Amino acid sequence: MHPMNAFKKLAVRSPWLFRINAGSCNGCDVELVATACIPRFDVERLGCRYCGSPRHADIVLITGPLNLRIRDKVLRVWDEVPEPKVAVAVGICPISGGVFRGGYTIDGPMDRYLPIDVNVPGCPPRPQAILEGVLKAREVWLSRMGA
Amino acid sequence: MELTLSALLHMLLFPGGVFALGAGLLLKGVDRRVQARLQRRVGPPLLQPFLDLAKLAAKETLVPETANRTAFLAAPLIGLTGMAVAAALIPVPGAYSGMPEMGDMLVLFYLLPLPAIALMVGGSASSSPFGALGFSREMGLMLAYEIPLLAVLLAVAMKAGAAVGAGPALSLTVVVGHQMAAGQFGFSPAMLPALAAYLLFLPGTLGVPPFDVPEAESEIVEGPLLEYSGPALGFFHLASALKTMVVLGLGVDMFFPTPLPGGALVNVCWFLAKCLALMLVSLTVARAATGRFRPDQAFTFFLKYPAPLALASLALAWMGF
Repeated sequence: MHPMNAFKKLAVRSPWLFRINAGSCNGCDVELVATACIPRFDVERLGCRYCGSPRHADIVLITGPLNLRIRDKVLRVWDEVPEPKVAVAVGICPISGGVFRGGYTIDGPMDRYLPIDVNVPGCPPRPQAILEGVLKAREVWLSRMGA
Repeated sequence: MELTLSALLHMLLFPGGVFALGAGLLLKGVDRRVQARLQRRVGPPLLQPFLDLAKLAAKETLVPETANRTAFLAAPLIGLTGMAVAAALIPVPGAYSGMPEMGDMLVLFYLLPLPAIALMVGGSASSSPFGALGFSREMGLMLAYEIPLLAVLLAVAMKAGAAVGAGPALSLTVVVGHQMAAGQFGFSPAMLPALAAYLLFLPGTLGVPPFDVPEAESEIVEGPLLEYSGPALGFFHLASALKTMVVLGLGVDMFFPTPLPGGALVNVCWFLAKCLALMLVSLTVARAATGRFRPDQAFTFFLKYPAPLALASLALAWMGF
């Protein structure tokens, strides 16, 4: 294997996560907390860490249907994340608007504005599904680095 | 004092530089793993800190438009170089006797705040309001934990010096040599308060919960580190790994320095094992079991408990116990 590719394979074993709440009802956010705080799911076993700053993030987890008021803030925070980065949409809201579909404040679906790489549908998705989404995002990240 | 080749090698290879970095990162990996196990989680792989660094090396470094670019990018290097020099001053009993001609415990006392100062410089250069908040918290915390540290260093120096018959012995080489001849300070009743104070000082200086107020990620979004990304952030992590090694090594040298009979390699391993034990007691358990202090609680904590303990030891050592 090319040494550079081996290095990239090591690099993706440290995916740091950042949450963006784009108008979510908080249900998916609670499930994200479950992946971190409940021993059975423990997202840290994948080398993950929830970080407080978008500058430290590699994988961005976005919840919520993206309403009008928060759209520009979400796009601004997304721009703060250094390359290479991967976007994971958590829950059904970013895909279709979920229970908020058709609401006058809803500006979704999310991929009109953001390059979503992985969708984790569910209302809310199970923690196992979120962990699988993070693993899929890791593969996307690896291919984005060119390995 | 001229900078000789051997001094440079001590800073770059052993016991500073490469050795201290590797050992410090490994200790941090063990720390994260044990902490996870204490909380009944699986935890990351042991080599996770190395993986994190590999990842950070592959990311881009963003500099905010309003930041002072030079100070922002130079700040992580201040902490890193300061700690590389400090690591070379720490004797590894039985394998390396330190560099008494390069600096004693007072020099260490001045070198130890460098990573914290680097954080403050970086945080204020980043032009982020959270950086400024982190600056003031880091400053307050530093002023609070330096007092017990100074008292502990003086107590150890006084005790070692009293036996020699001269004033306080500030050289770590003399401190280690005295304990190898006359028994370890960690088992001396008069020095137990100083040991307790040092164990309480460790999480404060390393910014570990419950004293992680300057970088509190859930209230001031990582404070001074907020705007750092990629390799620049990696340098802060390297400096932190080195500092972990330096303060743990200093603790071992001051309280439990006696080497094993055997070669240098055995004693390097023995030294690392003692550092690990010190870390598990003072850092890992505290981190796994506590939340975070309010800033004022964190500041007053050091003045309320470790400072009087260390001063008690200093008084006992001064009276000749």
